[in-house]
Amino acid sequence: MGLLSEPGKLEVLLGNEAIARGAIEAGLDVAAAYPGTPSTEIGEALSAAAREVGFHFEWAANEKVATEVAAAAAWSGLRSMAFMKHVGVNVAADAVFTLAYAGVVGGMVFVSADDPHAHSSQNEQDNRLLLRAINLPTVEPADPQEAKDFTRSAFDLSEEYGLPFALRTTTRVSHVRAPVVLGPIRERRGKGRFSPDPPRRYVQVGRLARAHHRELLEKLSRIREEVAEGGEFLRVEGQPGAELGIMTSGVSYNYVWEAVRRLGVEAQIMKLGMTNPLPEGRISDFLREVDTLLVVEELEPVLEADAARLAKEANPDLRIVGKFSGHLPRVGELDPVSVTAAVAEAAGVEFSPPSRGTGAGIDLPPRPPVMCPACPHRATGFALKRVAGRAAFMNDIGCYALLFQKPFELADVTHAMGSSVGFANGLSVATDRQVVALIGDSTFFHAGIPALINAIHHGRKFLLVVMDNRTTAMTGHQPHPGTDLDALGREAFPLDIERVVRGLGVENVWVVDPYDFEETQKAIKEAMGRDGVSVIISRRECALLTVGRLRREGKKIVPYRVDPDRCTHCLVCVKTYACPAFVDTGEKVRIDPAVCFGCGSCVDVCPFQAIVPQEGSLDWRRDGYGV
Amino acid sequence: MGSDELDEFNIIVAGVGGQGILFTSRVITAAALEAGMRFVQSEVHGLAQRYGSIHTEIRLGRDVRSPLIMPGTLDLLIALEPIEGARFAGYMSGKTSAIVNTYMIPPISAFVEGRKIPELEEILEAIRSAGPGRLVPIPATELAAEAGDPVTTNVVVLGAAAAMGALPFDEGDVRAALGRVTPERYLEVNLRAFDLGRDFVLKGAGR
Ligand SMILES: Cc1ncc(C[n+]2csc(CCOP(=O)(O)OP(=O)(O)O)c2C)c(N)n1
Repeated sequence: MGLLSEPGKLEVLLGNEAIARGAIEAGLDVAAAYPGTPSTEIGEALSAAAREVGFHFEWAANEKVATEVAAAAAWSGLRSMAFMKHVGVNVAADAVFTLAYAGVVGGMVFVSADDPHAHSSQNEQDNRLLLRAINLPTVEPADPQEAKDFTRSAFDLSEEYGLPFALRTTTRVSHVRAPVVLGPIRERRGKGRFSPDPPRRYVQVGRLARAHHRELLEKLSRIREEVAEGGEFLRVEGQPGAELGIMTSGVSYNYVWEAVRRLGVEAQIMKLGMTNPLPEGRISDFLREVDTLLVVEELEPVLEADAARLAKEANPDLRIVGKFSGHLPRVGELDPVSVTAAVAEAAGVEFSPPSRGTGAGIDLPPRPPVMCPACPHRATGFALKRVAGRAAFMNDIGCYALLFQKPFELADVTHAMGSSVGFANGLSVATDRQVVALIGDSTFFHAGIPALINAIHHGRKFLLVVMDNRTTAMTGHQPHPGTDLDALGREAFPLDIERVVRGLGVENVWVVDPYDFEETQKAIKEAMGRDGVSVIISRRECALLTVGRLRREGKKIVPYRVDPDRCTHCLVCVKTYACPAFVDTGEKVRIDPAVCFGCGSCVDVCPFQAIVPQEGSLDWRRDGYGV
Repeated sequence: MGSDELDEFNIIVAGVGGQGILFTSRVITAAALEAGMRFVQSEVHGLAQRYGSIHTEIRLGRDVRSPLIMPGTLDLLIALEPIEGARFAGYMSGKTSAIVNTYMIPPISAFVEGRKIPELEEILEAIRSAGPGRLVPIPATELAAEAGDPVTTNVVVLGAAAAMGALPFDEGDVRAALGRVTPERYLEVNLRAFDLGRDFVLKGAGR
């Protein structure tokens, strides 16, 4: 990866890698984050570059801690960055709202990576609204080049105004790859100095908080005048004098640019790179010049509401086309079809959207993501379904959330990180139903512990199963407080979940290998009978890690096979274990050798002992792999 | 409306998570970079990679800004699995070339839910009826095994696409790009896979 190539070079970068490069160009000293799609690759890029460049990067326990790490560095005069997915900002919010009052000394950039369409998320919240409520100046790049350039500028401006700057992306900026021209890398500062000036700068209570609030608003109004109106992030292009004006920002600009050309319409386009504070003077001038305004933005009608407000003064007769008029959706992401249709509508030209229909007339089976072959969560789910299937299942956020699918259906709820345990508290108050909470190891450390403490303190009764696969798997295997290496591969102290829960006062604790069906089912049965909070730690490393290790050790992955003479086509394997390597041929079950990892965990699932090893197959449990 | 007004060349690489879709796309953009072409590519990260449907959209040309392709303007479909290819039938037109690996990977969820899985012939017919200018089915997974590793299925398909002249680069430029982005220890098997895909097309099996 050419992340550290020399200035002037053209490198192909993902939007997220471009943000990392922008930060490095700005002289980044300290970065911290908690992983989450679509922000994670910023951290992957920083992890890879940190040692060579010399800055600090850590995967923190959660987004709030990450923000506090970065803020303290910025207070010490260093340049720092915290980044997270949109819902991560909810976790960090308590720290960031007040950080805006406190301000910073060194430049600090706070990245919110939003996910319109909820491609990999539990909601599609629009953090432009949240960032406005926090009062952070916000820039929004449209592509990887801008992602890099805006990040670097945001560091300089943050330092100039003593206020963290937010960089907001969406999935189609974060996960777009394109050539980027690199800039020079500024020298880092290394160690900082913490000496608050004035001494109560970072103390926020009553009178002090009010004074700092006032200062914050003054900073914002200066930023509006000097930066937003100044035009560094603003571009007006297209046909001067055209009656149609289009206001847009971020990735939506790209759809607009092409739609205008594809339709051959005349339009003036105002592209806003800074969306808080807004260049209200420049926008008002723009509104005065046009008869129709189309506002193209994803999710909430944020800019559109501002345009409507400013138009009252600037151009009361203006026709505004957008979300309020029903021409663009508030749900899901925009795309070439929806934007071209909106431009056509606003311009009064014809556009018949091509059909997006798939598979001309045949019924294609959907292919949702599923748990990998050999996934330990499948084995835990198999045991839970057998002996606790009637309980209410509070699932959480991680790969194990896929247990909501058939045949497991072990999710009455999946909600937000750590919520499984919080909801289990509430259900055990409100009902007499058996409750099982499922949580991953990374999620346990991130937000599960306070809810567990609450349950112990109040004597609640439920079973908590910690699906400890020794990593943050869903986002691509980042370390967490329970792993023995940190983001840069240095040794770190691994917190032991068993000791943590025992230390909190839980007495009913079991640690099981989920591949051991008998032991796991026995533990579940016992736990369900106990009073108070019981905890089962179902521990086996993520199968992708095990397979990677076996490959590195030069061990051959030899798949299992189904003995057709013994297979009765009862489909118990498919209908209760559902490994993606199983293929139902209509007469027999077959194991696809290209998919099977050769773990051997499914052998005991078959009532007819038809699943058998081949010459050289391992048995991960017997041979001690993955535990 | 018609894409001939814009200078764009639109490619979709579709398949199942784990089939090397990102790698295939990287070879194509590496060739584009070398040719001094403008491009944008949108890709999928996160949960969707776990054995689900995955695709990338690659757009080459002077007028490309949008990371997503307008349906009806697809120039090339590279399908590493037939069901995944058929999902993009609505993106095709008479100018589309489609190259489709014939090795089916039926989704486990269909078996669990007892859903019918269409036959390969039905799927190819569905793609054909969407009216691509050219459709080349290729037994790429079998050829990849012949090359030495079924994991090189994607490279076989890429070699075939290059030999069809379905990419806006010479076959040699694509092969050179493959050489640049492949890690040393996989170079030999990858080049072998590429050549098997190329030969499949050149021998006329793909007509
Ligand atoms: C507040 C918040 N931060 C980050 C994420 C992104 N995210 C989803 S699941 C997950 C971690 C899952 O790790 P773990 O609980 O260990 O389960 P695994 O995927 O390893 O099974 C993360 C970081 C999120 N959804 N919400």
